[in-house]
Amino acid sequence: MIISLNWIKDFVDLSGIEVDELTKRFGLSTAEIETVTRVGDNLKNIVVAKILSVENHPQSNHLHILKVDDGSGAPVQVVCGAPNVRVGLKTFFCRVGGQVKDMKIKPVKMVGVESNGMCCGGNELGIEADTSGIVELDDDAVVGTDIHDMLPVDDVLIEIDNKSLTNRPDLWGHYGIAREFAAIFNRKLKPLELDDLSAYNNLKKLNIKVETKNCFRYTGIAVKNIARKVSTPLIKLRLNYCGMRDINMLADLTNYIMLELGQPMHAFDNAIVKGIKVIENKQPIEMLTLEGEKHEIAPNSIVICDDKAEPIAIAGIKGGLKDSISSNTTSLLLESACFDSATIRKTSRKIGLITDASLRYEKSLDPELCLTASARLLYILKRIDGGVKVTSSFTDVYNFKYPKIKINTTAEFISRRGGVNLTVDEITNILTRLNFKVANKNGDLTVEVPTFRATKDVSIREDLVEEVFRMYGYDNIKSAPMSMPLTPVDKIATHEVEYEIKHALSSRFNLNEVHSYVWNYLDFNKQIGITQNSVLHLMDSSKSGQAGLRINLTPTLLKFADENKNKFSEISIFEIGRTFDELDQNNLVKEKKKLSIVLASETETDKALYFKLKQIVEFLAENIFNIAIEFKPNTNCQAWLHPVNSCEVVGAGVSAGQFGVLHPSVKNKIDKRKHFASLELDVNALLNMPKLQTKIVPSSKFQPVSLDFNFVMDSTRPYAELENVLKNFKCAYIFEYSLKDVYKNDQQLLNKTSYTINVTITPKDKTLTSEDIEKFSARFIKTFAMQNINLRT
Amino acid sequence: MQNKINEIKQYVLGKIKQIKDLKDWQTLRVEMFGKSGKFTELFKLMRDVPAEEKGKVGQILNNAKQEIENLIVENERKMGEEELNKQINSAEKIDITLPAEKCTGSLHPRTIIQREIEEVFTSMGFVVEDGNEVETEYNNFTAVNVPENHPARDMQDTFWLDNGQVLKTHTSASQNRILKKYAPPIRAIFPGRCFRNEDVDASHENTFFQLEGVIVDKDVSVGNLIYFMKEMLSKIFNKPVEVRLRPGFFPFTEPSFEMDVKCPFCDGKGCPTCKNGGWIELCPCGMIHPQVLKNGGIDPEVYSGCAFGLGLDRMTMLSTNLNDIRELNSGNLKLLKQFKIK
Repeated sequence: MIISLNWIKDFVDLSGIEVDELTKRFGLSTAEIETVTRVGDNLKNIVVAKILSVENHPQSNHLHILKVDDGSGAPVQVVCGAPNVRVGLKTFFCRVGGQVKDMKIKPVKMVGVESNGMCCGGNELGIEADTSGIVELDDDAVVGTDIHDMLPVDDVLIEIDNKSLTNRPDLWGHYGIAREFAAIFNRKLKPLELDDLSAYNNLKKLNIKVETKNCFRYTGIAVKNIARKVSTPLIKLRLNYCGMRDINMLADLTNYIMLELGQPMHAFDNAIVKGIKVIENKQPIEMLTLEGEKHEIAPNSIVICDDKAEPIAIAGIKGGLKDSISSNTTSLLLESACFDSATIRKTSRKIGLITDASLRYEKSLDPELCLTASARLLYILKRIDGGVKVTSSFTDVYNFKYPKIKINTTAEFISRRGGVNLTVDEITNILTRLNFKVANKNGDLTVEVPTFRATKDVSIREDLVEEVFRMYGYDNIKSAPMSMPLTPVDKIATHEVEYEIKHALSSRFNLNEVHSYVWNYLDFNKQIGITQNSVLHLMDSSKSGQAGLRINLTPTLLKFADENKNKFSEISIFEIGRTFDELDQNNLVKEKKKLSIVLASETETDKALYFKLKQIVEFLAENIFNIAIEFKPNTNCQAWLHPVNSCEVVGAGVSAGQFGVLHPSVKNKIDKRKHFASLELDVNALLNMPKLQTKIVPSSKFQPVSLDFNFVMDSTRPYAELENVLKNFKCAYIFEYSLKDVYKNDQQLLNKTSYTINVTITPKDKTLTSEDIEKFSARFIKTFAMQNINLRT
Repeated sequence: MQNKINEIKQYVLGKIKQIKDLKDWQTLRVEMFGKSGKFTELFKLMRDVPAEEKGKVGQILNNAKQEIENLIVENERKMGEEELNKQINSAEKIDITLPAEKCTGSLHPRTIIQREIEEVFTSMGFVVEDGNEVETEYNNFTAVNVPENHPARDMQDTFWLDNGQVLKTHTSASQNRILKKYAPPIRAIFPGRCFRNEDVDASHENTFFQLEGVIVDKDVSVGNLIYFMKEMLSKIFNKPVEVRLRPGFFPFTEPSFEMDVKCPFCDGKGCPTCKNGGWIELCPCGMIHPQVLKNGGIDPEVYSGCAFGLGLDRMTMLSTNLNDIRELNSGNLKLLKQFKIK
């Protein structure tokens, strides 16, 4: 919203305060200021001039050669392209040496004819919207008068961030802003000059019917004998400075009141509209708006109809084409109304029509403003168009009045919340400046909220804390340390472990962390030939592009691998994120925190990648989760995993996820040159597994003995079978083992594989004799033989 | 006796010349001073020396022993030194300017910043809570005092899900659960991924990270909030910072503020980061609305509190000079691999 400082000064005397100080304090006490722009000082040497003669340019069919009187003596010759030039017209003329915004005026030749100056268009000067010709001034304008002496073109325009006014319906017009400046700088706010509406009480009432509770107040008043078509230069100037366009006198006036008071108004042509009916439509209604655009008004909107039940306006948003005022209008039915903010917002969004009026209504305007706005408009209208006559009483249907708000509080409470000791007087002074009424009974304060702050903004004592301290100045509050008891701090395991995993994967295993989105990429999944059946979907996926929430992380990581495949020969990425793959009995999602890893390499084999993942899983299990896990055959293999070379991670009988080489069909669709492996583990499942107790092997002072055994086993049997025998081997000595070597040579070993196992036995109470060792070896070999695992011969 | 001593001395000098290996010195020592060493034998002869000469002969013997020992030690030391020099001079000159194997892993820049910030809070006694990404309408809106008709609840602004839940629009969605979980005094932060249904461009994301915190105790004041934010931000930026409050509006706090920090990159002189304004809008905050406390089972007559939010994405972009927020969710490894683990 753009605020004209000149306009503000109509209502409050801000003399002696620099603009910088004004805007700084406003920003710290009220709302954020986006820009401050000085205007008018780039209009130089522009004066009223009268056209003395008009000749056609000999070499141009649209240029004219004018002689103008600019008050400096001799007539000045100027070439002008405006179509509305005529003898006797008074206009703004920029003399040679002058300036119109960025344009410096010099003597030039235009198609061979000398031109000394420029006749100015209103749009060029920024004082009118009109672009069709040069400014047409009233006949009483005095030739030679500088534009600065005729109009307050020198101004400071302050643009306030609309978002920071969301909660302040009272600040959507100049008068409200002026009230705020008056409070901040402790100056007096001048009362508005208003027409006395009670003078029309004896005139007949308008026929106004309100049939929806969402219309809080609807007022109307009728006026005839309107003669003036064009607004005054000042009204045009202010509208244009504040970012609006002037249209015609009546439309401009309603807009002017909206910018001044924040109350949107609408003017109907009383010759056409005789009465008003406000309804809530049950069916969609089509209507042509002022600009001639056809809109369908969605059901449950507020619609203004005439007495023949024809829709004539979308309440609070836009007027209709056929019944609105035009330049032919001589009698007027003036609407000043208040509607439910949420209804206006919903209709506005549904239609896709956001207007200056709807923006204001959305903020919950004060219904009391309806009367003020009508009285203000009539006051101005009577002064610029002397012959107008009011033909109806001020007809007021006031359905919903906000309750009066009184808040009980104390100076002690306000001081305590702010952290600054303020007296009752100090508090009363600030609140009174903001139009609150404060009653003090032995220190108990009763604060009455002004109506323009009582529609949603101020209702509880904490709101008063804000009012008091924003005026007191937040920068005047001293920072104060707080004291709290010394208590140990909980650590949330699901959160801590996340970082530990991330740190280990990046620092120890050289993986790169990525963050992705939580939805499935249907196109990519289709491209690699997998489907993901989401449990949850977005209701509106127009902006995200995807609707289904992910049930696995890996497909998105594969997508990232795909996007990076041409830039990197080796890719190793991971993400810890949520998946949404299950609903509980209340239909609420059971979120899971999962870890996914994707490895892709041009140099490493499938086997090497598969084992790298196994190494990672074991590291996490042993060093981060401290749990026992097993690798089981994959019974329910994920679609992107290799059916043979993948496995399930199981701990305490519970599956925590899968990992393995990528399915050849998926891999080939991403990158044929690379080998791929992927992993997906449920972090919560791993956290919930029983923790291992560290078992200490007692140390012995006796010499250990190290022995190597070469076993052979059918190649179809996994090493785990051999290791099981080792794990379960019972022995009186301290028994440790490791796999030293694996040798596979089908021809030599007849489809068997050889494993070299190193065993270390340490006696606890005596030195081992060769006899002891022989006895041990024999029993050891026999135990294996029972499982059909024999010594290599 | 003297003859014998001289004889031994000559023998030792001869031996020393022949020694090639460091371990031979020990052999020579044993040969001289061992149980049946040459010198030990000489000492044995003392038995036959007449009593009146014992002192004199003893001294001669001792001096001689000392002399020989010194000879051995001195030559052993020299040889040791020569041998070390030989080792040093014959060593392969290693070119340490060749590259070593690098750690190529990286954390996401958000994770790095988040951890740094979390550590500041944990050092101040805050618990770090883990929130959900899908929330109920109650937790996301109603519990934190967002009115029934508030635009934030519209389909156009919030990702509603087909089971009636929402992708949480702000970390405040966790407030109710945390207020209920802990009894005052409470100090908690809760970072998390948030979502808004909006069009994505260089400065807008539909998926972003926030970090929010609450402090609840008796008589927490605006002055406390200012103190705390100043301390916390000074630690995060690693230098004393100046902060200022401006009015803000959020349904879950009253009063509400926008907190600006005097630009730590230019000390408020004006730079591209602060768009030459000298201040950076950093942190929405405020005093927790009494209704929010009440919804969390905390009596607002007894307790008050403050809440604050930090945009983790914004903090990340500030500290990494990233200027396109979309990069953070992009999986662009050319970018992400430039970050390390700190």
